[in-house]
Amino acid sequence: MTGEFLAFFILSLLTIGGAVFMISFTRVVHMVISLGITFISIAGLFILLDAEFIGVAQVLVYSGAISILMLFGIMLTKHDASDEGTGRSWKNIFSLVFVAGLFGLMFWGIQKTTWTAPPEGAAQAVSVKQLGVEIFTKYVIPFELASVLLLVALVGAIIMAKKEGDSE
Amino acid sequence: MDTLMQYAWLIPLFPLLAFIVIVSFGRQLKEGAAAVGILLTAVSFGLAALTFWQRFQEGASDYAFSLDWLQVGDIVITMGFEVNQLNAMMLVIVTLVSLLVQIYSKGYMHGDERFPVFYQYLALFTFSMLGLVISPNLLQVYIFWELVGVCSFLLVGYYYFKPEAKAAAKKAFIVTRIGDLGLFIGICLLFWWTGSFEFAQIFDSIALGKLEPWMITLAAILIFVGAVGKSGQFPLHTWLPDAMEGPTPVSALIHAATMVAAGVYLVAVTYPLFVASDIALNVVAYVGGFTAIFAASIGLTQRDIKRVLAYSTVSQLGYMMLALGVAGAAGYVAGTFHLMTHAFFKALLFLAAGSVIHAVHTQDVFEMGGLWKKMPVTALTFLIGCLAIAGIFPFAGFWSKEAILSAVYEAHRFDLLWLAIIAAFFTAFYMFRLFFLTFAGEPRGRHDGHESPGVMTGPLLILAVLAIGAGFVNTPYAPYLTEWLLSGETGEVITAAFGEGTGHAAAWLQVVALLVSLLGIVLAYLMYGKRYIPADAIPETMPWLYQLSYRKYFIDELYHHVIVRPLNWLGLLLDLFDRYVVDGLVALTASITRGIGSLHARAQNGQVQSYGAVVLFGLLLLVVAISLTAQGGGFFGQ
Amino acid sequence: MSVNITSYLLVALILFCVGLYGALTKRNAVVVLLSIELMLNAVNINLVAFAKYGLFPAVTGQIFTLFTMTVAAAEVAVGLAILIALYRNKVTVNVDEMDSMKR
Repeated sequence: MTGEFLAFFILSLLTIGGAVFMISFTRVVHMVISLGITFISIAGLFILLDAEFIGVAQVLVYSGAISILMLFGIMLTKHDASDEGTGRSWKNIFSLVFVAGLFGLMFWGIQKTTWTAPPEGAAQAVSVKQLGVEIFTKYVIPFELASVLLLVALVGAIIMAKKEGDSE
Repeated sequence: MDTLMQYAWLIPLFPLLAFIVIVSFGRQLKEGAAAVGILLTAVSFGLAALTFWQRFQEGASDYAFSLDWLQVGDIVITMGFEVNQLNAMMLVIVTLVSLLVQIYSKGYMHGDERFPVFYQYLALFTFSMLGLVISPNLLQVYIFWELVGVCSFLLVGYYYFKPEAKAAAKKAFIVTRIGDLGLFIGICLLFWWTGSFEFAQIFDSIALGKLEPWMITLAAILIFVGAVGKSGQFPLHTWLPDAMEGPTPVSALIHAATMVAAGVYLVAVTYPLFVASDIALNVVAYVGGFTAIFAASIGLTQRDIKRVLAYSTVSQLGYMMLALGVAGAAGYVAGTFHLMTHAFFKALLFLAAGSVIHAVHTQDVFEMGGLWKKMPVTALTFLIGCLAIAGIFPFAGFWSKEAILSAVYEAHRFDLLWLAIIAAFFTAFYMFRLFFLTFAGEPRGRHDGHESPGVMTGPLLILAVLAIGAGFVNTPYAPYLTEWLLSGETGEVITAAFGEGTGHAAAWLQVVALLVSLLGIVLAYLMYGKRYIPADAIPETMPWLYQLSYRKYFIDELYHHVIVRPLNWLGLLLDLFDRYVVDGLVALTASITRGIGSLHARAQNGQVQSYGAVVLFGLLLLVVAISLTAQGGGFFGQ
Repeated sequence: MSVNITSYLLVALILFCVGLYGALTKRNAVVVLLSIELMLNAVNINLVAFAKYGLFPAVTGQIFTLFTMTVAAAEVAVGLAILIALYRNKVTVNVDEMDSMKR
């Protein structure tokens, strides 16, 4: 029982618990909160995986920005929407079945595959410096494109959310 | 000397040309259409007469010409024409009577709105009938046979606005159709067994013994069924009296002289087939004999002048069949001889009756009377016709009827001989009943009679001359016709089978026939001329006998209830079946398809989540499929 | 017991399936967007896990994760903007009522 294992166990429990609670809560705000917990736990998992930068980015982007954005969305739409149940309709049952099927399939696939251990000496802790070097040398074009994408998304979102009829 | 016979194929074409011209220009021509028809038919007649004269030259062999028409596998079907003794005679008869009727119609149909249409149909009919008689093979005969039937239908239904005329036209067509079916089956069977439609080849096959006796009998009887339909023999006689709904010139041409004679012609032209089968000949003889007396007994009581003549036609056709059926060269000659004389005097009788109808505007003899003085020419020619048909010396009918009786006697068919003699008595009686009721006594009608115009009386006179003189071509003392008819190839077959009949054996038979006819005339005179014997004697004492005859032995009613009504029910049933079952199935298929479609359309509910679920499902399937079939066992392998 | 790759893969799988279920069944459009975020996170876990424990451990997995995070953020922004615009028109965020593509 290593510490690593314990940490993993707790974090994954929080993650999955948060996700399941998210699904089963009825009030939307509660859902957002449990999702936030999930995000933070995932950040913990990242750190466990020696991806500190990603973990911090996760906290910043997801649990910081995106959760708040969702709250804003709830606020601007029906902010008192509390009844959010799923009915027992055919579509939902089918979806459950299919999702369960997908789960079963992938589970079996994961179990069946023989995962060879990585060759010795190849695993090194990845540092932020290494990350930076890779981004700005090998992946600089996708990086630039991502910034353009963000700009486009920004402009698009503003236009979409603007009230109609404003001509100034 | 064959040169003129080569052009015999033109003879039917002139009336066809008349038909085309009148169809195209009828509206402008109006009554000028008569001129076109008459002129072209006259040309045909001239050509037919020349051809006939050519055939008289001895040594002229039968002329035949054929073109390949269709090739089916190994079999080649030809179209062509042939000219032999029988043909040539028929060509002259048909063209002559058609010409005279067309001249007559110019006067009779004057003022009718559809005058050109009438001449159109007449021309088409003449073409068809002429085509029929020069056909050298059964298929061509059948084609023209049907054409003739169609023309009859058109002409009987000429006054199509009258419901009786419509019904009569339909009846004529349908009843003859029944006969045509027999004929068609017979033709098919002969084709199947001998491989050819051509007369020459069929007769050769029979002579060479390639057909079994039962096959010959069956084919002959089936062909005779066709003749029964067309010639109005029992039991397919019901259409002929009703066909009198057509205009009188039509009755004269078609239902007296030519089309109904087509049945007799058919039997005569396929005579070698019948010669080879005794049973078929007996069938012909008995049907003919029975019809002769049956129709004569109905004619005794009818009131409509044209119906009496119609039943008389049926009866005389029965005589012709009887003659053909008793076999022997004598029978063959007697039948065709009577065909010729009958054409002339029956056409004469019908045209004269038409003249009377035209004058007094009624067809009921009990409303006529005393027309002798008012319509002398008509009355005289009608009298000549009556004498001819009653078989009084020296008119044409005497010689031909006597020839038939002799043939029957020679063949020792005494039962049929009695039938024939009694029928002769009836014939004389009812014809003269007609004559006296129409022309003698006091006028009972409402309209004053007046003589018909020359264009109508002219043909009457010509036919009267023929009714007197046509018989002299074949008297027992100078049998020209017999020798001539039997000199052709068909004749050789007949004489080979039966030997040359001496033709007219007993002189006493002539006397007996004459006496019987005279007896009939005297009786009619007493009952209807001078009224010594009241005409109601029999109807009052034996009403059932009278009713049987007057109501035509209830045969029409019988057919209606036994055949027509069940068929109508069957038709109704089948219609319901078609409408609900067949259409129902089709509609069912359509609605099932539509149902499935609308069912699936419900899947398009516009909701993205449903679509997403379906996509997921598809993904699952795809993954499973790939993992199962990938190389090396894939996902679930080893 | 050690934590090897299968554990992380399983966690990611569970998260993914939960998110997928939510995306396909929830009625509120905002919740659907939330579920989609969950799915994207599951993918990120996968990527990072393979970056460390996979056959060829490299930093590429983490870089890819950064990019997916970026795209996810952009997508959330735009998605919510669309949602707001839709709400303005239909006064509802119920996805069942957004069926104008119906037959």
